[in-house]
This record gives sequence, C-alpha cells and structure tokens, in this order.
Amino acid sequence: MIAFLRAVALFVGAMLLQWWWNTHLAYWGAAPQFLLALTILIAARRGAVPGMLAGFGWGLYLDVARAELFGASALILTLAAYFIGVARRQIDLRANGPLAATTFLFTWAGFMGLGLLGLIFTKSFEWCGWVAALLTPFLNVAAVSVAALFWDARGER
Amino acid sequence: MQRETRIANVVLGALSALSLLLLSLPLSTPVRSLKAGAGYLLDPLAYRGEAGYRRLAGLPERTRRLLEADIDNESLRAELRRMEWLATTVSALSTENERLRGALALQPPAGRSPAWARVMERDPIHWYRSLVVDAGLDRGISLNDPVLGPRAGRLVAVGRVVDVRPNTSTVLLLTDELSAAAAYLSSGTLEGLVQGQDGPRLRMNYLNAEAVLSEGDSVYTSPTSATFPPDILIGRVVRVNPRDPFLTFQSVEISPAADASSLQELMILRARPPEAR
Repeated sequence: MIAFLRAVALFVGAMLLQWWWNTHLAYWGAAPQFLLALTILIAARRGAVPGMLAGFGWGLYLDVARAELFGASALILTLAAYFIGVARRQIDLRANGPLAATTFLFTWAGFMGLGLLGLIFTKSFEWCGWVAALLTPFLNVAAVSVAALFWDARGER
Repeated sequence: MQRETRIANVVLGALSALSLLLLSLPLSTPVRSLKAGAGYLLDPLAYRGEAGYRRLAGLPERTRRLLEADIDNESLRAELRRMEWLATTVSALSTENERLRGALALQPPAGRSPAWARVMERDPIHWYRSLVVDAGLDRGISLNDPVLGPRAGRLVAVGRVVDVRPNTSTVLLLTDELSAAAAYLSSGTLEGLVQGQDGPRLRMNYLNAEAVLSEGDSVYTSPTSATFPPDILIGRVVRVNPRDPFLTFQSVEISPAADASSLQELMILRARPPEAR
C-alpha cells in the first residue's frame, strides 16, 4: 500500500514539477524533460514494464496540453521505456555515465520521433527549435543524474 | 527473463497500438472523449498548481508587508505615546490658559494682588464646608482674603480664608453654613445676603418682599461685600421660595457657580503681597 501511494505521489509530483518548470522557469523554449528523464530512470532501474506504464501516463499528460498529435508523447515515452528496458540487459544503466549518455541520445531520439510523427500524421515536421534541441539534452542529463543520486541516496538500488 | 520480455512485448504492443490509434483518429468520438476525459483528470493539476504557486510566490511579498506593517506599528505606537504626552501637555496648557484668561478678566480691587494656590486636601464627607490650599503666610495670605475659582473661562466666588498657617491655609467655602456674602441679582439692583446651607445649594435672604423674583437670575457679589470684590459671579437662582407672611423679605435658592467637589486650583486675592510684609 505504501509502495502504491509512493508511486502515485511520484507520478503526480513529476507532472507537477514538469508543469511548474515549463511554466515558470523555461527560457528560450529549453526546459528539462523530467517526465522523459524519469521514464528512462524507472525503465533502467525497474524494468521496461513499469517504465512503459509510467511513460504512457505521463505522455498522455503531455499530449493533453497539445492541440494536435494526441498520443505522440505517450508513444515516444512508451518506446523509450521499452528500448531502455532492452538496453539495460546489455549496458549497466545503473552507472551514471551510461545512464547520462543514454538519456542524451534518447532526448534527441525523442525530438526526431516527435518530428516524424508530426510529418506522418499532420504533414509537418514538429521541430522544437535549435536552442531547445541543443540545450534540452544537457538539461535532461542533469535531471536524470539528480534523480539517480536521489534514488541511490534512498538505498533503492 | 523470457517472461519479463514477453510481458514487456505485450505491454509495448498494447500501448503502441493505443497510441497509434489516438494519433490516427484524432477526430473520432472515442478519441475526443478520451482526450476530454484525460483533460478533465489532468487539467486540475495545472490549475491547482498555479493557484498554489501564486500563493507561495506571494509569500515573500506578504512577509515583507507584514514586516513593514510591524515596523509601522512600532512607529505608530511611539507616535501615539508622543501624542498622548502632547495631549496631556495641551490639556495642562489649556487649563493654564483658562486660568490666565480668568485672571486677566479680573480687576482686583486696589491694594489686593492675586495668588494661585492648589487644593491640597478636602474633607471627603463635608465637601461643602472647607478645603486646604498650599499657600499660607509664605505667600502673603491673610485671614478673610477672598478666594475665587475658575469656571468656564471666568472666576467665580468660592469662599474666604479662615485659617492661615506657614505654608497652607484653610478656605471656608460659601456653601458652609457659617459663610455669608452680600450679593445682588442680575435682573435688578435687588441686594441680599447669600448664606451657606451645608449642602450643594446656597440661600439668598433679605430680598425685598415686594420684588418679583424669577429663576435663572445670576447672583453676583455686591460692592458692599466686606470680603469679595464686586461683580464676581456666585451662582444662579434655581428656586424662588414661597413668600412667608410672617417675614418681611423673600428668599431664593442658588446653585453655586463653583463646584466645590472638582476645584483644583484657586485664586486668593491677597490683602498684602509677600514683598509688602
């Protein structure tokens, strides 16, 4: 029961954090993608299925705020969690270095995926802009590193 | 591991299919309903979050205002204390001003000089008889000196000195039954003798039996008074006594102008100033 309540608190808290940062602290369209970072971290630490479930829910939250492409973020976060779940069998994603590199790559992959989905379903490539595209991966790496440190500090390896 | 992979594949397939369905049919009723439902569930997050954020964001400003209000409060308290002191000073000055105006309006008779004295003591049971003031031989006070008191910006008759000690004197009030002073009524030239009754009222006797008397008349000291200077207010007629067929004069009840119970400061008209002693 405690674990379930903690999971719900994490789920809602992450959405609140993303909303707050996007609304009040984002500059030039660049803000850390906490939901992607946490999806990657959960998939790396707990496996693909928890990551996919969390990622799909958070993706729907991101999609609700979007006028078009409802379901795009859900699909991208689900796929990210799946591939991280697969990759963790080959790579030690508990280490900070591989986790940061994976997050960096998946951020770019996320941008590309969103663009391609836009191209397929709305005939226009969804591009976030160069500032966001260049800064966000670093911000995501920082976010996932802080979250991993916090996770480790709680002794939940 | 295989089982976990299978479950992951199934979940991936289901969620991906659902996502693609949402992407493919954005205008269909089920997808619109799902989006509306998701919005209904998730929008309060941002709405409540924004409200909470504004509340928290306003906290430093409110704290700053609270601190400023506290500083203002302290400043206003100090100002209030200063104003209270100022009000007390103004009140004292006002009293003094009243006293001085009364003194200026008074024309002391030749050979007399005024001296102010504070009431030191009064008999709590017999307020209408006498009181003690803080002026005596040291201030040139002598027996039978007339004593006046301030009332509404003027000086009114209070009594006379009956006992003089080195630093204090006893004043016999007009309301004492042993007091008497020649007086006249303001409505005419009728003269009589004002006498104390050992109570809050005075009695004016020996008024002409044929005179028409009325309530509300003012009573002043007469030029024939052996104690008081002339034209000093004594009081006001509050009752005309019925005529007594066996007496050859009329009498009236007078409410004294000086309130013996509230007198704080008195003016004594000295026969001789201290320098002359």
